[in-house]
Amino acid sequence: MNLTSMRTSFGETLCQLAQNNPNIYVVDADLKSALNLDEFAQKFPTRFIECGVAEANAAGIAAGLAKTGKTVFLTSFSCFSPAINWNVIKQSICYNQCNVKIVGSHSGLMSTNLGATHQMLEDIALMRSLPNMEVFSPIDSIETEKITKVLARSRLPAYLRLVRPTTPTIFDPKLNFTIGKSSILKKGRDVTVIGYGPILYEAFEAQAKLNLDKPYVSLEIINCSSIKPLDFSTILKSIKKTHRLICLEDHQKNGGLGELVASLILSSNLKCQFIHLGVNDKFGRSAKTYQKLYDYYGIGVNNLITAIKSITKK
Amino acid sequence: MPLNKYKYLKDLARTCRLDLLDMLYKSGGGHLGGPLSSMDILTTLYFGKLFNFKKDHFILSAGHLAPALYTVLANAKFFDKAKLPKFASFNSFLQGHVSTKVPGVEYSSGSLGQGLSFAAGLALGDKSSSVICLTSDGEHQEGQVWEAAMFAKKYQLSNLINIIDFNSYQIDGATKDIMPLGNLAAKYVQFGWTVTTIDGHDFSQLTKALSKAQKSDYPNCIIAKTIFAKGISFMEKDFHYHDVKNLSESTYLKAKAKL
Repeated sequence: MNLTSMRTSFGETLCQLAQNNPNIYVVDADLKSALNLDEFAQKFPTRFIECGVAEANAAGIAAGLAKTGKTVFLTSFSCFSPAINWNVIKQSICYNQCNVKIVGSHSGLMSTNLGATHQMLEDIALMRSLPNMEVFSPIDSIETEKITKVLARSRLPAYLRLVRPTTPTIFDPKLNFTIGKSSILKKGRDVTVIGYGPILYEAFEAQAKLNLDKPYVSLEIINCSSIKPLDFSTILKSIKKTHRLICLEDHQKNGGLGELVASLILSSNLKCQFIHLGVNDKFGRSAKTYQKLYDYYGIGVNNLITAIKSITKK
Repeated sequence: MPLNKYKYLKDLARTCRLDLLDMLYKSGGGHLGGPLSSMDILTTLYFGKLFNFKKDHFILSAGHLAPALYTVLANAKFFDKAKLPKFASFNSFLQGHVSTKVPGVEYSSGSLGQGLSFAAGLALGDKSSSVICLTSDGEHQEGQVWEAAMFAKKYQLSNLINIIDFNSYQIDGATKDIMPLGNLAAKYVQFGWTVTTIDGHDFSQLTKALSKAQKSDYPNCIIAKTIFAKGISFMEKDFHYHDVKNLSESTYLKAKAKL
């Protein structure tokens, strides 16, 4: 499996875009290197605005700059932005409709050794609850590039969720990313698995193991990288066929995608079995590999296989 | 000529204060103490011929001063004065805290401490214009204000002017009791700003300070010492008049007589 970095992809893409678009600005809070923005800062020093460790001000600066016609990428770790500056994002960016893209890296348990304070498990909940805010979580480095390009063209506030480590490369480079569209990564007949971000690779691993069974369970895997707006119709179409849904996320179950989809299913009069795999109201902790943490918090590939077996037994 | 000019501003500010009182009486209530203390500042900004707000920017960071700004904007003909009594009612564009739904308003606020950052972002992105931000003294208890103060110095935002409506009161009492601010002027000097302290009800001082700030090489802070609920003597310096609800006819008439 080819492992690549979302952060590398983000920094490189933004640098390319800025070459042809003089309105692209970065407002950063002392995490330039971590988001691979050294080259951007070097090439475009007047468009790289360093705010220091002051995320609330950084969000306000980004909003004001955006009102002068710039497309502003506000960059930090998600445990700081949007976690520290959420109300500035609400009032100064969303309520005032400023063209600011909040880029939060180090999301989820994938911040592995850094521990609970740096494992942001609440960002989707925080951001999807804001009016005027769009929320995107790429599955890998390729989709990161595609989303970054789309964001540079849009005029709305948006949140882009990135992770720290290199992760499996899954997204088909020939496909486009469209706001409000989910992509079916693999067609199947028995169980629909939805999720966002690199954790969705587990569904492919699960399928590989299930293929050894006779008869084997076939998964339909849907990438919900556009969390808001969410393409519910693709999910609905799939569960009309499978009648079984598993939502997998590297995020708190509280406020996550699973809750959102569950409420949509309840409103749709459709009968379907549902299992939600996410972090269950717990803080994170340190480990040497994120797979260790995924197992511990019940969102690892073995937990997924157990869930698939249980949902297909009923 | 200057004397006449200041009389003109003084008369306008009186009209705006009367409109404000009317608006709050007829609409059922809203913030009063801060709007009255900041009225002379706002009148100078919009009628003092120092700025052109088609190009320059005004950011009201203390969003609860909206009633004062609305009456000033109505008198400056941004919208029909007859709309004022609908303040904060369901179908009115005149939101309870300042909002871009109101013609002439560039930034919606209400949560304190955010406007100076927004103003600094504007000042950085539009260096050919002046950006004036109005904050309150109590608002300086929010840490974000000081983050913005550091930022403005680093990026040498000489086109940024922060006017502090220093009325010494906040919602629950005197600022010195709730959380003392120490020497704000010294703090801004330490942060690398040019600081001018003035009487915020003296139109000559307001005009001179603003005009000096326009020519400065550093970010500018004008500390405008004001009187809370200025103009209605029996309400002045009484924090209970931070906001009013359902003013009685007798209180309204008594207050009107004072103006």
